[in-house]
Amino acid sequence: MARSLSLLYLALASPAVLLSFVVGGPAAEVVFTILVMGFPVALIALATARKGRLGPPLRLPLFLLLVVLEGTSVGMLALRGKVMALPWFAGLPLAAVLLLVLWLAPLPVVALGYALTFERRGFDQEERDSADGGGAAGEDKR
Amino acid sequence: MPMPASPAVVWTAIAYLAVVVLIGVWAARRTRSAKDFFIAGQRIGLLVTAFATMSAAFSGFVFVGGPGLTYRIGIASLFIVIPVSFTGGLLCWVLAWRLRLLAGLREVYTVPDVVLCRYRSRAASGLAAVAIVIGTLAYLGAQLQALGILIESIFGTERFLGHWSLAVSMAIGVLVIVFYATAGGMVAGVYTDLFQGVLMLGAAVAVFFFAMNIGGGTESIARSIVGSQQFGPRFLDPFGGVPVFTAVGFFFVFALGNLGQPHVLHKFFMLDDPRKLRWMPAMIGLTQTLCVLIWLGIGLAVPALVAQGHLAPLANFDEATPAFLLGFAPDLLTGLVFAGILAAIMSTADSFVNIGSAALVRDLPQALGWRSGDELRQGRIAVVALAVGAALFAYLYGDLIALLGTFAFGTFGAALGPALAVGLSWRRVTAPAAIASIAVGMGVNVLLELLTKLAIFDAASWLPFAPGVLPTAVALAASFTVLFAVSLLTAPGGESVDEDVARLIEG
Repeated sequence: MARSLSLLYLALASPAVLLSFVVGGPAAEVVFTILVMGFPVALIALATARKGRLGPPLRLPLFLLLVVLEGTSVGMLALRGKVMALPWFAGLPLAAVLLLVLWLAPLPVVALGYALTFERRGFDQEERDSADGGGAAGEDKR
Repeated sequence: MPMPASPAVVWTAIAYLAVVVLIGVWAARRTRSAKDFFIAGQRIGLLVTAFATMSAAFSGFVFVGGPGLTYRIGIASLFIVIPVSFTGGLLCWVLAWRLRLLAGLREVYTVPDVVLCRYRSRAASGLAAVAIVIGTLAYLGAQLQALGILIESIFGTERFLGHWSLAVSMAIGVLVIVFYATAGGMVAGVYTDLFQGVLMLGAAVAVFFFAMNIGGGTESIARSIVGSQQFGPRFLDPFGGVPVFTAVGFFFVFALGNLGQPHVLHKFFMLDDPRKLRWMPAMIGLTQTLCVLIWLGIGLAVPALVAQGHLAPLANFDEATPAFLLGFAPDLLTGLVFAGILAAIMSTADSFVNIGSAALVRDLPQALGWRSGDELRQGRIAVVALAVGAALFAYLYGDLIALLGTFAFGTFGAALGPALAVGLSWRRVTAPAAIASIAVGMGVNVLLELLTKLAIFDAASWLPFAPGVLPTAVALAASFTVLFAVSLLTAPGGESVDEDVARLIEG
């Protein structure tokens, strides 16, 4: 299911992005932004799904990543042109703070999400053998 | 670029170059085979791989071009670098594990080797090699040109050498890179990258805190900027300085384009144990995020200082970093940063010299069905030829090289990203789809960039795109679209994937 949904998303979002470039205008900008922020999560889900399904340990970090990417970018779009109209936070306009959140928040989510779910991928014996260098790459080609 | 004219800067640069040469000498003794030369014998640990990945990915643009771009368009420039917090994870989840395991299953030294393993098509791997050679010449040429300008600036060679100054400065830079890249191959490459990465990190963090302090703190900086006529509130609006298509287009290109950068992906072949990938996203993400602080720090401090009347408005945006350092930073910090810029340029250049030589002596002959002989010897010759050729091209066609260098990243990303990222996760991607995707990504990006920037005709009015749309974003989206469309239209044919590789793809 996760694999199929990811493939469907990527296959449809790619031409939709091209279409948004041609159509232009504020609505197309919003659609473009939302689509772009989904690409990284879709690619990760496609790459990590096993037997078509996303393992439960991966669901939370990917969900959090998606929320951060989509939430901050849509928030920045909503705050366009309102730098002085809204209260500032930590010495910066709110939109600039959202940009910094988009920059920094994914780091712990992704770093810990990857590290803590690493073993649970369940490496099979062939992957372990390959990891120990049992393949042809052990020989040099001259 | 303004001349530092400071002994501290000169001696720091000399010390840096000396260390790099010494690492080259050390690495030469550990380079005995083609495997050592191209993938450092597959003996590299987590820390070195992470720093090598970080420093290869970051060129001098992070230190000089980035702050200059911020001065010009405001914080919208940060859309280029904010993906660094998660692209380490994106790389590791999507590609790194599979790349490293492939390097254990097969004799995989390069990205075209991966394409050949996956698609069983010499046309696909050959096309990937062509993309790499073209991108390498452009990227390498741009880096060598920047290196020459920087050396000229640090050592003030124009006073002594006149119109020969740039040529001699470029020759010095090329000589150092060629020495350690030829002698030590990727062993020299990754360990100089480690040294360069630590230097870049230290310089970036130190300058960030210094810049914030000189500007008067975050709120003082921000209020100065929004209150000025030159910059105003739009400077601190993420979508104030450029159209949304440009800002989010930066994010699209630089987040997903990472998946096609051969000089980054190549590092994963060298890891001694793929199980060490566990902490790779954390290491890459943290080091890159810290390095980017210089972009933010100088990018905010310089406009604030201009707004506060402490600095004259810049005539050339790229003067932001040198103007700040020379006007406000202590000599030692300036020396550290100039050495950091040297490191950033050279770490990217040495990666490309190795990638390019592998494409010339291994990937292209393989695609043409030729048997290659002594790859170690040929690789060393190719390093020299590539570096000298790129430097000559950059010297003679400086403007063209600068132009080509700026879109080499996009060419790699659009050409190679989709075929690798989707193709290594979905068995249904066919060889014709990979070929079409690589060709479209490369062709569309080069064509659109040249049309719009060389102004052969008024391309902007002719192309059917909204204002602010990036050519590379078009190429990347087109490459993904073509990959899926052709995969669905073509049946998986005679190029069946080996079972062990197929198990790796499907997970």
